[in-house]
Amino acid sequence: MITLHTNFGDIKLELDFDKAPITAANFKKNAESDFYSGTIFHRVIDGFMVQGGGFTADMEQKEPGDSIENEADNGLKNDKYTVAMARTMDPHSATAQFFINVKDNDFLNHTGKNSHGWGYCVFGKITDGMDVVDQIKAVKTGTTGGHQDVPAEPIVIEKVTVDA
Amino acid sequence: MTTLFISDLHLQPERPDITRAFERFLTTQAQAADALYILGDFFEVWIGDDDDSPFNQHIAELLQAFTKPTDTKSNSTKSNSTKSNSTRPGKELYLMVGNRDFLMGEAFASRCGATLLPDPCVIDLYGTPTLLMHGDSLCTSDTEYMAFREQARSEMWQQALLSKSLDERRAIARQLRDQSKSMSSMKAEDIMDVTLDAVVNVMQSSQVSRLIHGHTHRPAVHSVALADNNLSGERIVLGDWDSKIWCIEASADAAPTLHCYDFPNEQP
Repeated sequence: MITLHTNFGDIKLELDFDKAPITAANFKKNAESDFYSGTIFHRVIDGFMVQGGGFTADMEQKEPGDSIENEADNGLKNDKYTVAMARTMDPHSATAQFFINVKDNDFLNHTGKNSHGWGYCVFGKITDGMDVVDQIKAVKTGTTGGHQDVPAEPIVIEKVTVDA
Repeated sequence: MTTLFISDLHLQPERPDITRAFERFLTTQAQAADALYILGDFFEVWIGDDDDSPFNQHIAELLQAFTKPTDTKSNSTKSNSTKSNSTRPGKELYLMVGNRDFLMGEAFASRCGATLLPDPCVIDLYGTPTLLMHGDSLCTSDTEYMAFREQARSEMWQQALLSKSLDERRAIARQLRDQSKSMSSMKAEDIMDVTLDAVVNVMQSSQVSRLIHGHTHRPAVHSVALADNNLSGERIVLGDWDSKIWCIEASADAAPTLHCYDFPNEQP
């Protein structure tokens, strides 16, 4: 069990080590190495998702570790309150940034092993703190440092704890 | 079989976002290509191939990795013994200097596994002779710059500059930059555009109907009326990497096309 301690409250999530072993292990590793401490939810779009884990409160991008293989073909769907990895155009480019779906986003699911169809890998789900997620998705956002949908007041992941 | 052209990245330590975009470009789009041409102003400033700043070293390493043949053995599945450890040939890399990095020379190019191209130069692009230039020499209305360009490209002027210590050269570069805001501007309106006469002249004297260049930060595809043979030529202008990735892609099956990509933000 993972707990994201944010300035909006705690969000608990369960990682799926069976269906997304590489991605879940990568997230756990980032949590244990304190990579996420002090990062923010920097991209918040109500009706879509809230994304975080890569920027600090002053919108400096943290240098992440190596990219991981995309496990989006594991059958898990980008449904409401699931957690998935963000990435660039390259399907296998996820490093640390993740997002919480705040609605069923079918178009993010895996449809084929090509650059358009790879989809986004779900590797866990929220088990507690949905109300916190609902508060986060509703905050006021704007454009900061060339990035859109950045919350006006930083939503900070102060610490991430891992329970066995 | 594809060939990519880029220019005007203006790489500099102050813009890690551009470096990151280039790193991603090398490991994604460029991996599908056989050759990459960088047509000038790859660096924002270049004070000599002997400048071994950590930033320059990092870029050189990126290019070395790109041009070096690599083992294509799978790195994540050690147990998968059916995968052969074949060697992927390195990519071809061609560098041309621009008006910012005109001191870039053979030493840096060979260090990166690249070939240094003269400006202008004609290549055979899948059967079509194609003229490559940085583009600054086409801006003939900028008489002041043209005079400086002539001077700065002379052996004597360059030797005089390169004989100064790295610290001295760094100071000169800083001074030049502070003197003129437009020197460090990415905005097209601060850079003069090409003159049409210069374009027609160089295309006709080089006997080509296609020209690819950068410099002006005005990415576009223009048709050029070539008087000699009533032919319509084509001038494709690359854009700068201030906020977007601009790149021309050509293959045996497809004429060169200008593409624009967003910087690779991580997203769903």
